[in-house]
Amino acid sequence: MTLSLFFFYLFAIVLVGAAVMVVSSRSPVHSVLFLILAFFNAAGLFMLAGAEFLALMLIIVYVGAVAVLFLFVVMMLDVDFAELRQGFLQYAPIGLVVGIILALELIMVAVGFVVTPEVASASAVAIDPTLSNTEALGRVLYTRYVFLFEGAGLVLLVAMIGAIVLTLRHKPGIRRQDVGAQVARTPAMSVENVKVKSGQGL
Amino acid sequence: MNEFLHALDYLLGLSFFGWGTEIGFVWKALLLLVALLIFIAFVLLADRKIWAAVQMRRGPNVVGAFGLLQSFADLLKFVFKEPVVPAGADKVVFLLAPLLTVTLSLAAWAIIPLDFGWALADINVGILYILAISSLGVYGIIMGGWASNSKYPFLSALRSAAQMVSYEVSIGFVIITVLLCVGSLNLSDIVLAQNGGGLATMLGMPALTFLNWYWLPLLPMFVIFFISALAETNRPPFDLVEAESELVAGFMVEYGSTPYMMFMLGEYVAIITMSAMMTILFLGGWASPLDFAPFTWVPGSIWFIFKVCAAFFMFSIVKAFVPRYRYDQLMRLGWKVFLPISLAAVVVVALVLQLTGWGWTPGVA
Amino acid sequence: MTSDLMSLDALLPVLPEIALALGALALLMAGVFLKGETHASVSGIAIGLLVAVGVLALLYPIDGVLFNGVFVADGFGRYMKTLILIGSALALVLSLSSAGENGLAKFEYSVLVVLATLGMMIMVSANDLMSLYIGLELQSLALYVVAAIKRESTRASEAGLKYFVLGALSSGMLLYGASLIYGFTGQTQIDEIAKVLSLGDRSLGLTVGLVFLLAGLAFKISAVPFHMWTPDVYEGAPTPVTAFFASAPKVAAMALLIRVVMDSFEPIALQWQQIVIFLSVASMVLAAFAAIGQKNLKRLIAYSSIGHVGFALVGLSAGSQGGVDGVAIYMAIYLTMTLALFACLLALRTEDGFAEQISDLSGLAQTKPFIAATMAILMFSLIGVPPLAGFFAKWYVFLAAVEAELFVLAVIGVLASAVSAFYYLRIVKVMYFDEPVLQFAAAPAELRVVMGAGAFLLVTYFFTVGAPLGAWAHNAAGSLF
Repeated sequence: MTLSLFFFYLFAIVLVGAAVMVVSSRSPVHSVLFLILAFFNAAGLFMLAGAEFLALMLIIVYVGAVAVLFLFVVMMLDVDFAELRQGFLQYAPIGLVVGIILALELIMVAVGFVVTPEVASASAVAIDPTLSNTEALGRVLYTRYVFLFEGAGLVLLVAMIGAIVLTLRHKPGIRRQDVGAQVARTPAMSVENVKVKSGQGL
Repeated sequence: MNEFLHALDYLLGLSFFGWGTEIGFVWKALLLLVALLIFIAFVLLADRKIWAAVQMRRGPNVVGAFGLLQSFADLLKFVFKEPVVPAGADKVVFLLAPLLTVTLSLAAWAIIPLDFGWALADINVGILYILAISSLGVYGIIMGGWASNSKYPFLSALRSAAQMVSYEVSIGFVIITVLLCVGSLNLSDIVLAQNGGGLATMLGMPALTFLNWYWLPLLPMFVIFFISALAETNRPPFDLVEAESELVAGFMVEYGSTPYMMFMLGEYVAIITMSAMMTILFLGGWASPLDFAPFTWVPGSIWFIFKVCAAFFMFSIVKAFVPRYRYDQLMRLGWKVFLPISLAAVVVVALVLQLTGWGWTPGVA
Repeated sequence: MTSDLMSLDALLPVLPEIALALGALALLMAGVFLKGETHASVSGIAIGLLVAVGVLALLYPIDGVLFNGVFVADGFGRYMKTLILIGSALALVLSLSSAGENGLAKFEYSVLVVLATLGMMIMVSANDLMSLYIGLELQSLALYVVAAIKRESTRASEAGLKYFVLGALSSGMLLYGASLIYGFTGQTQIDEIAKVLSLGDRSLGLTVGLVFLLAGLAFKISAVPFHMWTPDVYEGAPTPVTAFFASAPKVAAMALLIRVVMDSFEPIALQWQQIVIFLSVASMVLAAFAAIGQKNLKRLIAYSSIGHVGFALVGLSAGSQGGVDGVAIYMAIYLTMTLALFACLLALRTEDGFAEQISDLSGLAQTKPFIAATMAILMFSLIGVPPLAGFFAKWYVFLAAVEAELFVLAVIGVLASAVSAFYYLRIVKVMYFDEPVLQFAAAPAELRVVMGAGAFLLVTYFFTVGAPLGAWAHNAAGSLF
């Protein structure tokens, strides 16, 4: 057993274990924390495969941003665990069947790769070993895949517009802070010097 | 088996058994860790002293000469107190949170180069690693706040999660502008690139190396980075996480003893990490600011530490004389001011580099 | 490693998409920076933009495969894109008069419709599993938002959520299928997959991938058994939004399905034909019987559209050029009927809302004879009574099925058509033989134009547009073979 194989099994076992805990954990917050652990181990697997850029992106994007928002939402939700578990038991058989089917298919795919190894080598872009993988990605992202890249950008734009349309509310009658106006105000505009005669007031 | 021995040798470097060739990774890491922690002890003291000086107080001055041993006294006090876990708290998460904070903030130091070739691990995607680690810092706070099972800590955790995620965006863009100039994600390369020519060379005064560094051509980015770093590490004026006037002491209300100390330690290590990042990205890393006689005699690591201290001084002095921001203003600053500016800067910098052909190619320096 | 774009001229085949994307961004800017109530003017500009892009696509028909085989511009794509642009533009026209009541008085609505249209155009031109997914997702994401855009309505929010959850599930299936196909062929490009398949080495995993891919696409065209979301979403979403859902996206998804099965799975035609035949029969039969019990007009239209997708799939099952030809004509006629039908519904405005139930239509022939006549024509056309256009639509697809010797399928189709006549005729009966119950306001001019033009085209189909449309569809289908 080589060292990288040892780490592969370590990451893989922890990953699967964490994934199981995501579904079976009692508290939803623990579920999200296990999900984060699963992300970490997936990043570790990417690292072992030599995809260090992908590994770190997984951590920055999924763990650093997406999972934080997950946690955010889950912490504020008031989830009824008993009811949830009841539903879980009710639908467990169906879920199990679907899961088994998917697992069988995955095994079939894996077997397919073993049986016809020439299929796996038909990679879309030849890998240049002299480039670091950040640079290699950068070189194809804006040239070969520019259409897909821009398309993905538009998908994100739609998501952003959607989030704003569905949530932004302009309540009437609320005074909003206008920083520009505040900063532009000078003493001459707002302070008036009045000569007050003593003993008379204004 | 051979591979295991090799790995063991790399880690422990037991040269006296006749296997190792150089000092093992573990010993180097341990050395760095101890040095870092001692450094932090004095940084903590410096923080309090600077704050006191601005307010014309004396600050800690009883333990040791000029209070130099104050931090160690605090350490002993924290360690010998009884840790209290609230009855309603989620015990595991509650204790995991401070541990996570400390571990993550220390982990960032694995790749910071104190001098040429002086990094524990000089990895290719160094800057991404730092970004990843600092983006995880929020988990310590959010886990601690939630696990305390108490109102104020929870509110504080939610605030800080939003705050840190927001400012990470502008930090990311600032780093991208630097990366555009360098063309590499390796931290050593970033330092080498700044010392491989620039404004000073163009002006015909190559001895003034400090003009070469990126703080000058990327001055707006430097400012944004500094302010975002304040927000990212929850330092005043952005310390809304622990805003004592509204949230008592934020997410740390329920913490005491060693767990509290760990939070505190993690926070300061994160601040020093950010100072080191500023040094590497904008202040030329380990290089001397002037490229002639008495200055070049000073070793690079000393310059590095000096620059980190200077950056920390800015952190500290800001704490002393800038009042705390209101939360909505903080969010406005992040999303409506820094994000557009840094986004525009990425475009402008890329355009300038493309049109002028400036920038750095590895191996030239 | 490098791109195949050596000069700006190389981008010409993708010019309509680029124009639409830039236009959408400009619209967004206009919506944000124009002062006052911007939704009407932004809608107007959006309609103009869609029309202009359509004209651009037709005036400069440049074929080509771009971006290293990810995008293809051809006659089939242009035909379908024209239908999509017409559908989207008219859906926006229909929304104008009742924007306020339906919560569409936001400029983002037009922007989202334009972006969804862009997604559909990318779908139609997709020559790669990756661009297929990007286009599909761009379209779907915009549609999820549009379904829930009436925020204060719980039904609209429910519709949006349901659509989103089920849509995400179907995207997941599609991606799973795509990954299996990539795994077993080593290719994502549609014509390259066909080349690998024709070498003969086909494993079971590939068939599984095909099933998942088709399931994902069947969800988008709402074919049975992936139709569950359709009635709820159609009923819950605001009516102009439903009009949009029922028109352009259906055309786009159908075009995508045709391109995938015809180009890429042509060598394993037997496998996919079985699946398509099953989808077709299930859709026709279920829709015909399920629609009978409906009281809500929009649910009825939902089942009707499921049924029509079933009929269109009959043509595809043939797997011949004639079949694709038939589907292309079918989609054009279906688009006309759907848009005219929604124009009628939106014209039936009472003091407190719109006609939603079938019973609301009672005696429409006495109060609104023009709308009633139009609806009657539409109903007969939906049944497929000659010489209305609906008859020719069904004629072409059944003809293709018979030529491919799929006699059983054709017979089931005709029977389903006969059953569906029952609920279409019931509406005619309610309109003409019941007593009026509701008073309706005068219909806005643009709705009357859409209704009138739709009815005119459907009635005179054989004498006016039939021949040129048929020739065009034939040309378009020819570019796939």
